[in-house]
Amino acid sequence: MSVAIVAALLAATVAARPQAADLDAGRLKAERCASCHGAGGNATIAGTPSLAGQSAWFTHWALIKFRDGRRKDPRMSPFAAGLSDADIADLAAYYATLAPRPRPQSVDAAKAAAGQRLAVSHHCTSCHRPDLSGQDQVPRLAGQDLEYLLRQLHAYRAGTAGDLEGLMTMAARPLSHADIENLAHYMAGLTPVP
Amino acid sequence: MRRITLTSFALALGVVLAWAKPAPAQQAPPVWKQGQPAEQANSALAPVPLPPTPTPAKDIHVDAMTLPPGFTISVWADGLHNARQMARGSRGTLFVGSRVAGNVYAVVDRGGRREVKVIAKGLAQPSGVAFKDGALYVAEIPRLLKYENIEANLDSPPDPKVVYEFPKDAHHNWRFLLWGPDGKLYFNMGAPCNICMPPDTHANISRVNPDGTGFEYYARGVRNSTGADFHPVTRELYFVSHGRDWMGDDIPHDTLHHAPRPGLHFGYPYCHQGDIVDPEFGRGRSCSEFAPPLLKLGPHVAPIGTRFYTGDLFPPQYRNRLFIAQKGSWNRSEKIGYRVMTVELKAGQPPQYEVFADGFQQGGKVLGRPTHIEWTPDGSMLLSDDYNGAIYHITYKR
Repeated sequence: MSVAIVAALLAATVAARPQAADLDAGRLKAERCASCHGAGGNATIAGTPSLAGQSAWFTHWALIKFRDGRRKDPRMSPFAAGLSDADIADLAAYYATLAPRPRPQSVDAAKAAAGQRLAVSHHCTSCHRPDLSGQDQVPRLAGQDLEYLLRQLHAYRAGTAGDLEGLMTMAARPLSHADIENLAHYMAGLTPVP
Repeated sequence: MRRITLTSFALALGVVLAWAKPAPAQQAPPVWKQGQPAEQANSALAPVPLPPTPTPAKDIHVDAMTLPPGFTISVWADGLHNARQMARGSRGTLFVGSRVAGNVYAVVDRGGRREVKVIAKGLAQPSGVAFKDGALYVAEIPRLLKYENIEANLDSPPDPKVVYEFPKDAHHNWRFLLWGPDGKLYFNMGAPCNICMPPDTHANISRVNPDGTGFEYYARGVRNSTGADFHPVTRELYFVSHGRDWMGDDIPHDTLHHAPRPGLHFGYPYCHQGDIVDPEFGRGRSCSEFAPPLLKLGPHVAPIGTRFYTGDLFPPQYRNRLFIAQKGSWNRSEKIGYRVMTVELKAGQPPQYEVFADGFQQGGKVLGRPTHIEWTPDGSMLLSDDYNGAIYHITYKR
């Protein structure tokens, strides 16, 4: 069914020529993003992720998934639909150069302590690194927005997050609501490191 | 002694911590880490991450690839993110699948300039493609799709028909498609794990009629086959398979197998590379119970595109030789693979295994991953690279 929809929406597109990212162009293009994702990529609106210091590969993949419909969000999907390959490359490269800052949010210490143990027993640290700073296509979780982390973990568990290879869906499936709550408080409470 | 002391200390500490706060139960690791022994828990080895974007032709180090005298390599097309299997349409269109990019591409040659069209997107790892009677067949993880009369409709592809539904497990179930001499489509259904007792539906090569009827298992005990071909003379199936991970840098080898008839069992998960019983699943079993591999290809080399050469352009010694592209290792301290090998198969003689194209990793840096092979009508080679998202042309001139 989804194939039929995609095919119906899709007049075949000619793939754009690949090209290297342009940081200056990324800075200009990101002005449109700042009203939600914050100046300098550090968002303050609850539910909106910070992008500063995320690896370029992660942001790039996220925008591709929004654009081709594998990941859906009422605000991001229409925005991403209009991005060219060059826009995506420029934005991803630009956000990777920015310094992440702590978010104005407070976390529950008991939940965070439980979440710290879950992050090890559920192997979050084996891809996201021990300090949850992320790498390559794997996002930084440390210091990310609490509400966003909760929403994404629930979406992965429900299989609606647009998982690349299914790894996060498998990781999230065994999590209870309480586990997700605890993990999100732990991740949100960490100091973001680039 | 020191080790015992440390272990005792760790145990004591564990007891104290366990008493202080109940630890959550250990969960299943990510699939690529499954089967990793405890002593390797801190290993830095992990699958090679895929760039989110294809590499522009000018930035691909195609000159790093060394070839036998007389052969040359060039970038034939770029901008095909994560390019995997290729299939040629009867009007000359080259169809190309992908994995995590989710795209299927059509490359149209316009007098030396290649136009790359995205004809399907958002599919679940549509790595396998095959063409017959005007129709493009695409294998994504859950489904075999058929796009009829595709070459007349590249700019407005028809809705595909779902020809067959596969098991939905993702791991090791990105597929190749291969036409058999019997007119059936052959494909892999890999083990949904690194090492496990697979369900009966997995760890095999199977076949189905092009209309989706007549499903049959063909070869069993196959962990993760990513490429296969039928011998141009004997019409018998040869296929490659990836060995299990986390047994060390040098074992087990990835393997080339010969399946002259249906129903053979090739050993997984009991026996690896024909002579190593699995430390867990092989207990009480013997490798002599299973069909042995024809050739050990090297540990963790990751063989993928597997094609017999039937053209006239390459020197005569290459005719009917098997070409095996190897996209290269991750579960090994020093990288290996990232090359194309050939195998000479002669009745009554051991297979001769030789390097054809090499150099796509240098000092551990990945420059590209040779992935699938397709022959052009003039007998030259197209080689896809799922890391750079490009297709190379390898040709020969005396």
